[in-house]
Amino acid sequence: MNGMFKFRVSNAKLLRDMVAAISILVDEATFNVTPEGLGLRAMDPSRVAMVDFEWPKTVFEDFICTEPTKMCINLGELLKLIRRTVKDEDIELSMDEKTGKLQVKITGKYVRSFTMPLLEASEEEVPTPKIPFNVRAKAATDGLQGAIEEAGLVSDHVRIEADSEKLVLQAAGDIMGATITFQKGSTVLLDLEVKEPSKATFSLNYLSEIMKAASATSDIVTLEFSTDMPIRLDFHQAIGGKLAYYLAPRIESA
Amino acid sequence: MDLSFSKKHYKNVSANLWLLDVLKDSVVANEIIDESHLFVKTLRPGLCVACKGARFLCGKTRCPIIVRANFYLKSIPLMQSDDIEGTSPPSIFVGRIGYPYVYAGPLVPPVKADTSFYDLPEHWFGKSIDEIVGFRSLLIRGKHRVHVERFEEAGKIIEATRELAFAVKPVDVELILKKKPRGYIILDDEVQPFGPSAPIKELKIGNVAWDNQIEKVHYDTDLKAAEAVLELYNRGVLVTKIQRAFSVGAFGLGKNRRLVPTRWSITAVDSIISKYLMDKIRFLPEMDEYRVYESQYLDNLFEIVMLPGKWSYESIEAWYPGTVWNPYGKSVIMYSDWEGYDGRSTYAQIGGCYYAARLAVCEHLVREQRQATVIVLREAHPGYIMPVGVWQVRENVRNAMRQKPYIFKTLEDMLKFLAGRFRIPIQKWLIKSVLLKNALFQKKITDFLKP
Repeated sequence: MNGMFKFRVSNAKLLRDMVAAISILVDEATFNVTPEGLGLRAMDPSRVAMVDFEWPKTVFEDFICTEPTKMCINLGELLKLIRRTVKDEDIELSMDEKTGKLQVKITGKYVRSFTMPLLEASEEEVPTPKIPFNVRAKAATDGLQGAIEEAGLVSDHVRIEADSEKLVLQAAGDIMGATITFQKGSTVLLDLEVKEPSKATFSLNYLSEIMKAASATSDIVTLEFSTDMPIRLDFHQAIGGKLAYYLAPRIESA
Repeated sequence: MDLSFSKKHYKNVSANLWLLDVLKDSVVANEIIDESHLFVKTLRPGLCVACKGARFLCGKTRCPIIVRANFYLKSIPLMQSDDIEGTSPPSIFVGRIGYPYVYAGPLVPPVKADTSFYDLPEHWFGKSIDEIVGFRSLLIRGKHRVHVERFEEAGKIIEATRELAFAVKPVDVELILKKKPRGYIILDDEVQPFGPSAPIKELKIGNVAWDNQIEKVHYDTDLKAAEAVLELYNRGVLVTKIQRAFSVGAFGLGKNRRLVPTRWSITAVDSIISKYLMDKIRFLPEMDEYRVYESQYLDNLFEIVMLPGKWSYESIEAWYPGTVWNPYGKSVIMYSDWEGYDGRSTYAQIGGCYYAARLAVCEHLVREQRQATVIVLREAHPGYIMPVGVWQVRENVRNAMRQKPYIFKTLEDMLKFLAGRFRIPIQKWLIKSVLLKNALFQKKITDFLKP
C-alpha cells in the first residue's frame, strides 16, 4: 500500500530542470520516497543508459514521508504542468489520500493546483553497474557540452580517450571527422586522474541529450570510464543530492 | 527521364524524333500522330537515340519510353472526345500544384461496367506492371481549380467530386470536358498512375450509394480528422477508401476541413494509423528471436527484419542503376531513414514509402501482440521500370507479413541468411543501417550488471 507523502520545493526551476533531466531517459518514472528523501534509478527503454538520482530531504523546504513508498508518474505529463513555472515560485507535490492521485500545487503570483494519476509502480530494483574505472576527469559542463555538440556535427558516435596529459574526443563520420583535445588543467578540464590510458566509444545521440538536459542542473561534471566499459557522468549538485548517468559503450568488433 | 507528348512546338528536337520512327511501324500511330505532338525529353538524348529502345543501353530490362509510348497509343482513342461517359470506380484526384489553389476532380474511364477494381490497390497485388498501367491509363482525369479551404462554395463540380469519394460502389458519370483530354500517363512514386486530363465543363453523376461508415464520421463535425481515420480503420474500412475521403476534406472539425492533395492524404493516413498502432505496440512484450519476412513483387525485393528489443523502425531502399530513381547511375544508390522508440516528429526524407511500410509492419506486430526493432530493406531491381504508387510498398510488405518468417537464434545467423538473399553485399546494408549497427555494436547497461 502507498504511504502518505508531501514535499515542497521553494525554487520551482530546480524541480522543473530535474524532471526534464530524468525524462530524457524515462517517461514513466518510479521514485522511491523514504523519510530520508527522494530517489530514482532507471534505465531507458532500450537499456543503453541509466539515470541515478537522489535528493535528500534537505533539498526540500518541507518534506514529510511517514513510511517508504513508491511514486510512479508520467514525467512528460508532469513536465507539461510545471513547464511555465519560474524560479521564485514554489511547488508542492503530495498524495491525495482520498483519490490516490498526485496533487501538484504551484504557488507564485497566484495559486494553481493540478491533479494527475499515480501509475502502477515498477517493482524492478536496478543496481548500478560496478565498474573499475581507470579514468576520472572533472570538467566544466558547458565546455564539455559544446564539444559534444561539435562532435555531433560529423558523426553519430564519439570515441572518448584519455592519458595522463589529456582527454580527447574523436568522431569519425562517413565523410568528415573531428578531434577535440582538452589539456589537463585547462579551464574546461579541471582535473584528470588516469590509472591507465583508456578509450571507449559512445552514442552521440545519448551523450548530447544527457549533456543538454543535465547542464541546466549543474556546472561541473565528473566523467569516469575504462576501455570498452560504460561511462559514468556525475553532475555535481550544488544544493546536495546526486544526478548521475551511465551510458553503455559501442564496441565495433568487426 | 521524362517523356512528354505535347502540342507545343519544340525547336531543335529533330534529334529526338527517333521515337516517331519506331512508332511509324504502328498503324494507329501513322494515322493519328502529328510530329509536333511528340517529343522525347531525356537527360541522355544521345544514348536513347543510339539505342532506340532496342538495345537496353540504359541498363533497364525494358525501354520505359517504348512502354509508355505503347500506353500512349492505347489511350489515343480516349482523346477523341470531350464527352466521357463511363463508370467511375469511384476515384478522384486532388493535385498539389499551386496549393492552396489546386486542381480537383474525378477519374473516369470510358467504360460502363463494374470498374471498382481500377481504384482498389488492396486487390492489385500480383498484377503485372502492364496490367496495372493498362487499366489505370484508361482513367481520364477531369480537373477543376478550387481553393482547398473554399470547397463549399466552389459549385456543383466540386460538390459532385466530393460525393464520388463517399460512394460505396462505382457510379455512372458523364464528364463533359472543355476540350479533348490531353497529356500522357502520369507516373509517380506515391500515387497510382492515371491517364490524360482536361478541365471540366460539366460533371453529371448518377445516384450515389454512400458508404455508411464514412457518412457517419463525415457528419460528425466535432470529431478530429485523425480520430475519424482511426474509427474507420478500426471498423475495417480499406486504407484506400479512407485516403480517398480524406483528400476531399470529409473529416475533421468543421472549421478545419479542407481538400488535401492525393499524395499528401495517402501519407497522412498511413502515418496517422501507424502512429496509433505504435502507441499500442510500445506496451507489448518484446519479441525474443530474430526474424526475416520476405516478399518480391514487380522486381522489388523486400526483406523485413525483426530484432528482439523495444519498438524502433528503419526503412532502407537500394536502387539499382536503371531503376526508376537511379536511371543513369553507375552504382547502387541507397536511401534510409529511421526512428527510435519514441517515434519521430519530422517528415522522413525517403517519403511516403517509409510510412506505408511502417503501417504494414505495425499491423503485423499488433496482430502478433509483440514489439520489436523492425528494419524494412528494399532492393529495387532493374525490372522496376516505372513507379506505380506507394501502395506497391504497403501491399508488398503486407504480403511479406503473411508469409512464414525465417527464424534465427542469433543476429549473426540472421545476417548470414540476409547476405544470401540480396544482390547487394550485406556490408553495404550494414553501413547504411543505424539500427543494424546498433544491434551489432551498441552494448546495453544490462550487459554490465553481474547476475
